[in-house]
Amino acid sequence: MLDILEPLLFALLALSILGAGLGVVLANRITTSALLMAFTFLNMAGMFVLLGAETIAAFQVLIYVGAITVLILYGIMFTPQAPRSYGLFFQQQTPAGAAIAALVALPVMGIAFAFHDAGPVGPRGGDLPRLATSVFTDFAFPFEIASVLLLAAMIGAIVLVKREP
Amino acid sequence: MEAGPFGIDPLVWAGLRLFIALALAIGLVMNGALLLIYLERKIQAVMQDRIGPYHVGPFGLLQTFADALKLIAKEDLRAEKTDAAFFIAAPALVFTPMLASFVVLPFAPSIVGADLNIGLLYLATLGSMGVLGIVIAGWASNNKYALMGGLRSAAQLISYEVPGILSLVTAVLVVGSLSMVKITESQPGPLVNVLIIPFAFVTYFISALAETNRTPFDLPEAESELVAGYLTEYSGMRWGTMLALTEYGNVTVVCGIMTTLWFGGWNGPGVDAFPILGVLWFTLKTYAFILIFMWVRATLPRLRIDQLMGFCWKVLIPLTLLNLAVTATLLMAFPNDQLPVAIANWILVAALVVGLPMLQQRRLRRIRERLRTRTLGPATAA
Repeated sequence: MLDILEPLLFALLALSILGAGLGVVLANRITTSALLMAFTFLNMAGMFVLLGAETIAAFQVLIYVGAITVLILYGIMFTPQAPRSYGLFFQQQTPAGAAIAALVALPVMGIAFAFHDAGPVGPRGGDLPRLATSVFTDFAFPFEIASVLLLAAMIGAIVLVKREP
Repeated sequence: MEAGPFGIDPLVWAGLRLFIALALAIGLVMNGALLLIYLERKIQAVMQDRIGPYHVGPFGLLQTFADALKLIAKEDLRAEKTDAAFFIAAPALVFTPMLASFVVLPFAPSIVGADLNIGLLYLATLGSMGVLGIVIAGWASNNKYALMGGLRSAAQLISYEVPGILSLVTAVLVVGSLSMVKITESQPGPLVNVLIIPFAFVTYFISALAETNRTPFDLPEAESELVAGYLTEYSGMRWGTMLALTEYGNVTVVCGIMTTLWFGGWNGPGVDAFPILGVLWFTLKTYAFILIFMWVRATLPRLRIDQLMGFCWKVLIPLTLLNLAVTATLLMAFPNDQLPVAIANWILVAALVVGLPMLQQRRLRRIRERLRTRTLGPATAA
């Protein structure tokens, strides 16, 4: 029964991700877009759980739904809302958008279909030790670089918005 | 996947167990909220030298039932200019993460919805999701007080998540597991974690007060300045879900986390012989913390928004970071001995208890001096 359930869940999640992603681009109101984006992130987290990576799923929700979407909504609320029905910036460039999407999607699909006999993703239950080991040993240097980059960005943002007394 | 009782198919049992856990959690949240509201009113009444509810039922015990029935029977009102879809979705967005948190709370040995090996991370994740609903509620209400309340709460909750999670991480470092069951099992005796890492407990307690919007951090719903914050436009059962159920449910969850991480969870006398006794110990400990929350609410005045943010970013986050660094270093240096960590933590607690009032006094003196010099300046002309 598990063999039927997993593709079914995958199909459900994939359809939700695609539908919500389309909604983000096509919705006429920016708040709707933001909420649909949160929904996409949640479904992505479900995808990670399906792959046996619960820790990454938890961080996905913690950071993207709990922090980034809220900050985006925060930004939207501080922006004056014009009382007009407007096409969003990216809705007015359909041909260019379609071309770029195809350009990205084709190689990705090529790679995806190249995996004919991908083995199982690993033992169930607990990607935490493996994740921690790889982050703090094999990938310690990239991890540190990313941290320093984020720190620099944070300090830069603070300096940019700091007013002189 | 483990097989269920009576030879039920494991997959069916997994779904069935989820259903039972959800039903239990809903029952727990609903009844818990009724009980907690009654307790809060009664305790505040006692502390303010009043009697509190006493008309409905013995000792007024049925008062909150009557209130709940009134809320359910109320007309489903929605102001015309509100944003229909978001306005209706917001209470669910606030309520669902809180309800889902109950899945990993260990009530007794083997009485737990699911023993996730990332249990604590899961709880932190769900704690951060509630903000989304509050912001949406504030925005959809189309009301400036609601919007202000929503924005304040977003700022407050995101800020206080940082010291809260850092305190949890400190506890996890000492225990060595994120699973709520393993954390409980690691403190069987009288040497519970609060004796080893009391400072992490103090900082988590403060952030928990802020994350559940309790006084002195209940700025998002400060009634004297913001009507009722993001709840302004809500009434009836939507208001009941957002305020009563979610607030008291969240209080129960954070108190359950404190019980599990620092006070040994279900462990107590007689649990080895009768595992079901664990429910009693867990509940007693959790309710002790809830009572402290209510005590704090009846005692302390509300902070100002700049004081709230300043305290989080200038005091709490540096202190929790320091605690995390010190604990990690000491655990690396003495892997088999928890005594150095305990000593360092108690020193930090002493420093906080002695140092904060001193700093506050110095600050007040400086402000007073500035005011004295300013009375000679342009302030007198105005």
